[in-house]
Amino acid sequence: MIERSEPDLPKRAPKSIELDGRKMPFQAGETILEVAQRAGVEIPTLCHDPRLEPAGACRTCLVEVEGQRRLLPACKTPAQDGAEVRTETERVDRHRKTLFALYLTDHPQDLEVAERGAPNQLLEMAARYEAPKDWGFMESLRDNRDADRNPYIHFNADTCISCARCTRYCEEVEGVSAISLAGRGAETTIATADNLSLLDTTCEMCGGCVDVCPTGAMGEKLPLTREAKPERELTKVRSTCNFCGVGCQLDLNVDPDANEGRGAVVKVTSPPAGTTTNDGNLCVKGRFAYDFIHHDERITSPLIRNDAGELIPTSWENALSVAAAGLHGVSERHGPNGLGFVSSSRCTMEENYLVQKLSRAVFKTNNIHQCAAT
Amino acid sequence: MTNSIGEIRNADFLFVIGSNTSEAHPIIAMEMKRAVRRGATMVVADPRKIWMSTIAEKYLQLKPGCDVWLLNAMAHVICEEGLVDETFVAENTEGFEAVRETVKRYSPEAAEEHTGISAEDIRWVARKYATTEKAGIYYTLGITEHTHGTDNVYALANLVLMTGHLGKPSSGMNPLRGQNNVQGANDAGATPIFLPGYQRVDDPEVHARYEEAWGTNIPAEPGLNLNVMMKEVGKSIKGLFVMGEDVVLSEPNCMELEKGMNAAEFVVVQDAFLNETCRFADVVFPASVFAEKEGVFTNSERRVQRVRKAVEPPGEAREDWRILIDLANASGADWSFDSASDVYDELVRDADKFSGISHARLDATVELPKTGLQWPCPTPDHPGTTFLHEEGILRGKGLFQAVDYRPPAELPDEIYGLLLSTGRTLYHYNCATQTRRESGLDAKQSEAWVEIHPRDAKKRGIEDRDMVEISTRRGSVQVRALYSRQVQPRCIWMPLHFFEARANVITNDAGDPVTDTAEYKVCAAEVRKIEAGEAREGLYPGTFYGIDAPV
Repeated sequence: MIERSEPDLPKRAPKSIELDGRKMPFQAGETILEVAQRAGVEIPTLCHDPRLEPAGACRTCLVEVEGQRRLLPACKTPAQDGAEVRTETERVDRHRKTLFALYLTDHPQDLEVAERGAPNQLLEMAARYEAPKDWGFMESLRDNRDADRNPYIHFNADTCISCARCTRYCEEVEGVSAISLAGRGAETTIATADNLSLLDTTCEMCGGCVDVCPTGAMGEKLPLTREAKPERELTKVRSTCNFCGVGCQLDLNVDPDANEGRGAVVKVTSPPAGTTTNDGNLCVKGRFAYDFIHHDERITSPLIRNDAGELIPTSWENALSVAAAGLHGVSERHGPNGLGFVSSSRCTMEENYLVQKLSRAVFKTNNIHQCAAT
Repeated sequence: MTNSIGEIRNADFLFVIGSNTSEAHPIIAMEMKRAVRRGATMVVADPRKIWMSTIAEKYLQLKPGCDVWLLNAMAHVICEEGLVDETFVAENTEGFEAVRETVKRYSPEAAEEHTGISAEDIRWVARKYATTEKAGIYYTLGITEHTHGTDNVYALANLVLMTGHLGKPSSGMNPLRGQNNVQGANDAGATPIFLPGYQRVDDPEVHARYEEAWGTNIPAEPGLNLNVMMKEVGKSIKGLFVMGEDVVLSEPNCMELEKGMNAAEFVVVQDAFLNETCRFADVVFPASVFAEKEGVFTNSERRVQRVRKAVEPPGEAREDWRILIDLANASGADWSFDSASDVYDELVRDADKFSGISHARLDATVELPKTGLQWPCPTPDHPGTTFLHEEGILRGKGLFQAVDYRPPAELPDEIYGLLLSTGRTLYHYNCATQTRRESGLDAKQSEAWVEIHPRDAKKRGIEDRDMVEISTRRGSVQVRALYSRQVQPRCIWMPLHFFEARANVITNDAGDPVTDTAEYKVCAAEVRKIEAGEAREGLYPGTFYGIDAPV
């Protein structure tokens, strides 16, 4: 682990590294990758996540440091004063091409398969760095967990690159260690204890493993089984989760053509780590509980109770005038304080404002309270 | 929250009391886990052995309803051992001497008898809290849902004030809000006493200002709060308008409320689903869910964030704010708002805590450190407020309130021998109107249950996963019994989410004298076995195994 809280002693002139010939100051404890990201210099990574301790597992971020015989992982190497770091040399480029080509030897390149879960960063990077694709192909030897009956998370072993982002997230952020690396060499896979279904483990279905996975090997089951469009064809709408009081930011992934043009939320993803209060994290409800939006039990027209005591559909105009007359009637018979208004802590601030204004300004009563008061 | 969520990870001491954080606020729990991983000390006080207790340095399994004993005893230690921040107390607070006197009667040894927590542990926690610079208190409904909920909060506030743990990063008093927009609903004035921005409706200046702004007369007498209003339904309350809430499922002692609802003359419900309350409705308006409308939610840390429309509502359903405007205009008003943004602008125009915020400004600040804006934010160039009380306590002087222990309204006796608490789980949400319509969550928790200690179960001839009937003086429900060591002997616990086993048929509606919040956390109950079928497959109640594993 890189110690970030140690003071940088003794205090002297600000320290800096030379990054591709550019002088970049850094703070004690910062890694080369962090300095580069701040400087806007792109270093590819697959296993890195700012919420996790650096692992140096995927080897894609190797860079050249003057005086070092080997290439060094930028994510795990602390910046040192005066170090000359080069991110774009012939040697680094050769390394990247080789590495990606090797990754591709047991990785499906057919987008139908490779993008089952989410955008596949490995394929994007391999294309960007022009890695050769013809170094042969072998079937993945990793164990699948196809039989896992959990409702949300599927593991597609073919596209796993053993970067361990998911298992590290499960341990370091969610703190439940439901999944871990198992096996050796080419057979290394993501497993649960005794190959149990996630339902039977300590897993809390937060879906963090899905979020951090760079290749979509950890993917969401429901969009798959419902044959939703791939994520890159969906529109992301940033909103605020409607469950608890944390106020997590989330991206509603919308298929605008579904539901006869009304649109459908087919997936929920979290914004990148470090950009919102929830730091890219979501819980089981925020990430997976969106079925209610398009549930067939939604009320789709105004209802009024008929003489037989049944709720029957009616027009908006009628419903509104019946409601207005009914509320006014109570007020006339029993006074304004014969009315009570209950608003909702699940609705927006604007709507709560309007309910209390309706209660006070239109029906002349302060009998208004939001639902969470008791 | 006086602090922000982002400050939690830098705290050195976290006192979590009456908060099942990993289930009710999972993302805040992640921040706490991060703090603990970094080396922070966490103390969890909860009658039920929750997940967070497994990573806590100390876990205090107090008897339900004894919070004031525990907190006053901690204050006792802090006073006795000279750990009071005398400078802070002298400069920033008033009323401390009364507290110093009161807590003298609460020695840790006496507290041990009442709470079941050893005097040694109480002393250790008090010392650690008082002597750690970045020490925060985190609590939720385990503190407030009691007939002495206000006392509990005062007792916590006393600890905060006497140690000066206020007005600093990672150091403060943090109630974690239960719903996405509880904060915003209160901020917007959906309360019987306050107009928007906590301006009292019976303050003549405020009242006159709002009458002028709205161009109409408004009543000046504060109205009934929710618990009282619900008890009055069918009596003095003859007409009810309910938006986005299933009152007959979530109010305590709800069978009484059902009687009242039957006696009401006119009921309007506005909801996205036909909930239980619709059984009593004369008119139902089809409303929208969050993905179908524009607006803002305000979270626990006072952060105002945007809700954006992603899809169209189904059929003839409309956004709630549009329905409210339509209803007002059908009722004789003349409101003209073209958008949620217009409504928001009117809201903040007269409430200066939020005056600097607008939809446009929120839309321009989508990435940290500026996702949304935290109020107070009085002007368009104000950056918002991360933690409160930085430049002195907001009301001038922090007010100590000496409180004494009062027992819960109803405790176990010969007829009802068990103590029932209710609560939330990770996999469902409140009335579960939304989450029980989600197939996956049902796979994890498909039916209601009660956690019972094996010793109590065996005494009653109950096997693990038997069907049982829980009764209280108010009614009974039938649920699955699960052997659990998360609960203490003679205590049982059940979730509130399931309409077929409504916990609130049996909870006590006795309210706190100040807030009238009902005592959902303590009532006397009894359990007996009944004949019924096998447990459904998807019943995975605990979030962790080992502690709640069947014997």
